[in-house]
Amino acid sequence: MTDPERVGAAVTVSGGESLLEVRGVSKAFGPTEALVDVDFDVRAGEIHALVGQNGSGKSTLVKILAGVYDPDEGSIAVEGSEFDPRRPGEARLRGLRFVHQDLGLVDSLDVVENLALGRGYDVRFPRRISWRHERHQARAALAELGYDLDVRSLVGSLRASERTGIAIARALDGWESAARLLVLDEPTASLPEAEVARLFDVVRTIRARGVGVIYVSHHLDEVLDLADRVTILRDGARVGTFAADDLDHDRMVELIVGRGSVMAGGEAETPGAPAEYEPSLVVEDLSGAVLRGVSLQVGAGEVVGVAGLTGSGREELGPALFGAAGRSGSVSVRGNPVPAGRPDLAVAAGLGFVPADRKSLGLVASMVVRENVTLADLRPYLRGGILRHRKERSDVDAWLGMLDVRPRNQTLGTMRLSGGNQQKVLLARWLRIQPRVLVLDEPTQGVDVGAKAEIHRRITDAAREGAGVLVCSTDSAELVRVCDRVLIMQRGGIGAELLGRDISEERIDRLCLS
Amino acid sequence: MAESAETTTRARRRFHFGVDRFSGIYIWGLIILIFALWVPETFLTTTTLRVLASDQAVTGMVAVGLVVPLACGVFDLSIGHVLGFTLVATTWMNVNTDINMAVVTLMMVAIGVAVGLANAAMVVKVGVNSFIATLAMSSILQAFILFVSNNRQIAGEFSDEFKSFGRNVVLGLPQPFFYLLGLTLIIWFVLEYTRSGRYAYATGGNPAAARLAGVRTDRFVTVSLIVSAAVAAFAGVVLAAKLGSASLTAGPPKLIPAYTAAFLGSTQIKRGRINAWGTLVAVYLLATGVKGLQLSGTEVWVDDLFNGVTLALAVGIAVYRRRGDSPGGLAP
Repeated sequence: MTDPERVGAAVTVSGGESLLEVRGVSKAFGPTEALVDVDFDVRAGEIHALVGQNGSGKSTLVKILAGVYDPDEGSIAVEGSEFDPRRPGEARLRGLRFVHQDLGLVDSLDVVENLALGRGYDVRFPRRISWRHERHQARAALAELGYDLDVRSLVGSLRASERTGIAIARALDGWESAARLLVLDEPTASLPEAEVARLFDVVRTIRARGVGVIYVSHHLDEVLDLADRVTILRDGARVGTFAADDLDHDRMVELIVGRGSVMAGGEAETPGAPAEYEPSLVVEDLSGAVLRGVSLQVGAGEVVGVAGLTGSGREELGPALFGAAGRSGSVSVRGNPVPAGRPDLAVAAGLGFVPADRKSLGLVASMVVRENVTLADLRPYLRGGILRHRKERSDVDAWLGMLDVRPRNQTLGTMRLSGGNQQKVLLARWLRIQPRVLVLDEPTQGVDVGAKAEIHRRITDAAREGAGVLVCSTDSAELVRVCDRVLIMQRGGIGAELLGRDISEERIDRLCLS
Repeated sequence: MAESAETTTRARRRFHFGVDRFSGIYIWGLIILIFALWVPETFLTTTTLRVLASDQAVTGMVAVGLVVPLACGVFDLSIGHVLGFTLVATTWMNVNTDINMAVVTLMMVAIGVAVGLANAAMVVKVGVNSFIATLAMSSILQAFILFVSNNRQIAGEFSDEFKSFGRNVVLGLPQPFFYLLGLTLIIWFVLEYTRSGRYAYATGGNPAAARLAGVRTDRFVTVSLIVSAAVAAFAGVVLAAKLGSASLTAGPPKLIPAYTAAFLGSTQIKRGRINAWGTLVAVYLLATGVKGLQLSGTEVWVDDLFNGVTLALAVGIAVYRRRGDSPGGLAP
């Protein structure tokens, strides 16, 4: 680590002049410091990887460059002259191009039309689009990146790597100014492994054209394979910039995770040998889009955590278990099989599921809080098939009080509540029916600190009352706090397992990255 | 902040109570008042009342039946043609066979159920957008209307028993009005006071979330399309009994008034939610306005103008008011 800058300089493509220079940039969101005095630079014709854990500041930095956030301090220069990303169109004009994780493609349009989004079309008299000319251009732009596609096919029908290629080709399109710097934000997150190699070829092709590339990724092997230099961020600060050749996997993990975060196992109460629990949830050979033959068990009264990078299968596990996503393999709750594609039978078998996306998959926006709480089971309020509103009201009021939902008003439109309170409403929905197994996907995403503590308390209580709980989360601290056991997902399978006192943030993070 | 949200909600509810939820009833009263002063000699008569109640019973049934699929978040555009078809078919059966009219009625409702099932098969099994599937069904039914009628108006003499089915007067009001009232009562009750109703609204509000809460959304969509088509089929039989002949063009034009009433109704009683009583109120609000205008001797085009402007205004105001709240904030 002696003078990484100097070493770094030695490996860059010769003659690569400085394209982007970020000096002393800081950004705080309220009391949270997202970036602290960060320096960062990219040269022409290099691939510069930006790595760090969730919350390390990578995406904040990218968003500052894209003009989404205003830096509190610091300066940015592009090719030697000052650059103000907040000025509309400035980033484009100066040659900065972004490919975000979601790619921003329109599935129902064809390749040509997607490439023209933003740029528009060349027109002939009288404002007629020359499709022949457009197709030719599209084909040429893609051929430059090594793609040979039927440009008339709908983007929705293409493979993941082809879609990424189209997004990149669109970003590189030379309207208004030539592309000088390409920012790729997690481009492989949703890419099957076989297609990653193809993307790498594309990125190398771009580098050969003298464009600078910022490559944001969680996957350290990719970074080592592809990047010329690597900048590591931790807790909003720059750990250092290194030549990729000087790093290896273990060294990177150490730098990313840091030694400071080593903590004692926290209040993990009992080391809880798995044999103590009677199995509530038994999953065998579960496969899906990313998942490959996952088998696991959750005992009654046990809280099992699932950690893993985006794309490891972590985010697919909950929906697949519940039967919301396509899957093969078997799932059973206390011996009752849960068939694929039938969430109603999953509920009947005693499975509850709090999805990660509470707005689109959890809550019904047009319904009030009360109706959202009781949606999973209305039987207790039926007498002779007729819904007894009074009983429902008093029951819901009790639940809102118990989970401290504010305001404690069950006739409020659900979307008027804050994120934390919305999440509590969703949690109340499932806790109320006393599920045998509760699966939670990112239970405290976008939730304030107070609500987070309450939700954690409820998870622990539910387990104490005999439910088996599975918590899928990217928040390692959360897993440390609530779990008896943590499974680490890697490449669609369970790569490692941590038990009781062995569970620590540092261990989880290390195992996720390996 | 939490407390203030609560108090503003309370204040708002106290302040706007009634004016918001029952604005339709006030406007209806206002319309009656205006025409009572303008053309008292023709407007304030029992004939007007009876004509209104009778004429609107058929449209009203179609509209209230439509509430069910709309609550489940799907469109049924075939209802006008279902009504048109059963109207023609009922009359044809009467003229060409001597099957008992009770049996005919059952047959027609069965046809409605079959149409609903076919719609649902396209929407749920194949995955065709309900708008397109039911539009296709409309066209198919139009073909059947022309086939059965041979593109000629069918006229015949119904039995008195059957005519009474559409023309009887009970408590000073025509019998079909009571069918409408009964239907509204049933649909309101089911949507408001049963588990199925709650699930139907959840399906319409967010099908993905409803499904993940264990609701069998496909089943609700299927049943809702069957209900709307069966109700429309029954309305066709009632219309046949009322008219005593089968006009080829009487059915399909009921479609737009039905949608107008259902959407206008969603601003009433249960704000922001398609509901049965709101729809009923809307049907009569619009009909009263139109009737008054007719009696005042305005030009024919004023009717359509009135319907369109009322719908646009009512829904426009409701949406505009809601924009002040955060999205989705509709306290009923």
